[in-house]
Amino acid sequence: MGESSYNTMLYVGVILLKIIVIFGVVMLHVAYASYFERKVIGRMQVRLGPMVVGPYGLLQPIADGLKLFFKEDIIPADADKPVFYIAPIISLFAALSSLAVIPLFNGFVIANINVGLLFILAMSSLSSYGIIMAGWASNSKYSFLGGLRSSAQVISYEIALGLSLVGVMILAGSLNLTDIVRAQEKYPFGMFLIPQIIGCTIFVISGIAETNRAPFDLPEAESELVAGYFVEYSGMRFALFFVAEYMAMIIIAAVGIICFLGGWNGPFVIPYMPFAWFFVKLWVLLFIYYWVRATLPRYRYDHLMNLGWKVLIPLALTNIVITAIIKVLI
Amino acid sequence: MTFRQLVKTVFLTEIFQGMALTLKTFFTHPVTRQYPKEKRPAMPGFRGLHGLVRDQQTGEARCVGCGLCAAICPSQCIHIYTADSLDHKKIVERYEIDVLRCVFCGLCVEACPYAAVVLTEHYEYSDYSREAFYMTKDKLLANWDKYMGWEKNMEYFKKFWHPRTDDLGFPKNQAVFKGSASGKETH
Repeated sequence: MGESSYNTMLYVGVILLKIIVIFGVVMLHVAYASYFERKVIGRMQVRLGPMVVGPYGLLQPIADGLKLFFKEDIIPADADKPVFYIAPIISLFAALSSLAVIPLFNGFVIANINVGLLFILAMSSLSSYGIIMAGWASNSKYSFLGGLRSSAQVISYEIALGLSLVGVMILAGSLNLTDIVRAQEKYPFGMFLIPQIIGCTIFVISGIAETNRAPFDLPEAESELVAGYFVEYSGMRFALFFVAEYMAMIIIAAVGIICFLGGWNGPFVIPYMPFAWFFVKLWVLLFIYYWVRATLPRYRYDHLMNLGWKVLIPLALTNIVITAIIKVLI
Repeated sequence: MTFRQLVKTVFLTEIFQGMALTLKTFFTHPVTRQYPKEKRPAMPGFRGLHGLVRDQQTGEARCVGCGLCAAICPSQCIHIYTADSLDHKKIVERYEIDVLRCVFCGLCVEACPYAAVVLTEHYEYSDYSREAFYMTKDKLLANWDKYMGWEKNMEYFKKFWHPRTDDLGFPKNQAVFKGSASGKETH
């Protein structure tokens, strides 16, 4: 074996190891994000949340996972079978592949590509295909309406989401996520939060809409559409959608951390745990997701569209112009 | 839109007010009672599962089979079958309550002249079959032993069951067939 092929093997091995680590960490986060959500919303509604499985219900996500894994997989007779099979896989695939470009700490990233931010935006729009296909293939009116609403919503808010990140791109001068984090070090608090406060606000609002979370959860509005696009899914296929949804949440939160909150940098360095600040910020953002969900009622559909097209997009464009002028002047 | 309203809209004031409220409730203590672990004591006078009072002297049911409870029962869920014993004493052969039909009005308890049928405080009974809720005499006696007992029975009797008399024995001035073998009757 030659020197170069040995190096290649090492390279591949390191990447595989990173994939295993990130996949494991994220799956654990998905499981406990659902537990955290139920606890937070429970406490906000003066309830306890899960308490039965394990101490303080800590094993609840594992019990849920096992239950979903062993449940019967029901496929509607009139469903479009191939599309029905593929849809959850597309959703999960899109969410999983976004993880490849997210740097957990300095230098720890599976693929340090130059168009990282663009890649994440592309993948998050790809995941809406899974939703639309699921809604169509289920051959059920609730699924179909959920799928339609989701496609309209994701298309509208993707624009605002992308535009809100343009200010960050201008300031950082790069689309590489690691470079964006490093560019923030000379700004107040090591964050783009202060110079990009408008962009950050737009990002948070459209990020919640992009991940179909309350108060923008029209695609899966329980009170009107039963469960929206995944009504007809059960067992493991439902679990795939569930995991994809929570993973999308974690990814949007991670993008927010990297673009506005200074990534892995914190007020002081925690020895031997370079990823600590990243996870602290991640859980704070997840808490805000749940906090918003526990507080706000669902938007009406036309209000949702008005907010997206008439408020957020013009605001994001203004933000870009202002940021560009400041960048040129300074 | 006034300037004030504009500021309110732009800075999402009302949303933040709502978020402050939910954050405040986040730190309050949950009101949940974790039922199977923390049981709530029944309120005094609670009308739960039925029981037949066991007489202290004889150890048998106090019921004489007069049928007043069955007569007053609005849902007609009490079935009494009496028979003649060998010494011509009236014996209660079967005393059955169909608990699934009962409406827990407590009229049987009020109607009983011997305070022989009671409603205990027990409310946690569930089963997979209907047969389990068809209470026979033995089951009813066992219910009383388990969930009521004599002391509690007396307390309940005085407080909630509107007794006509404190004396649970046979009324003195009432004709009672004692059923002696010689056929002699006492008044």
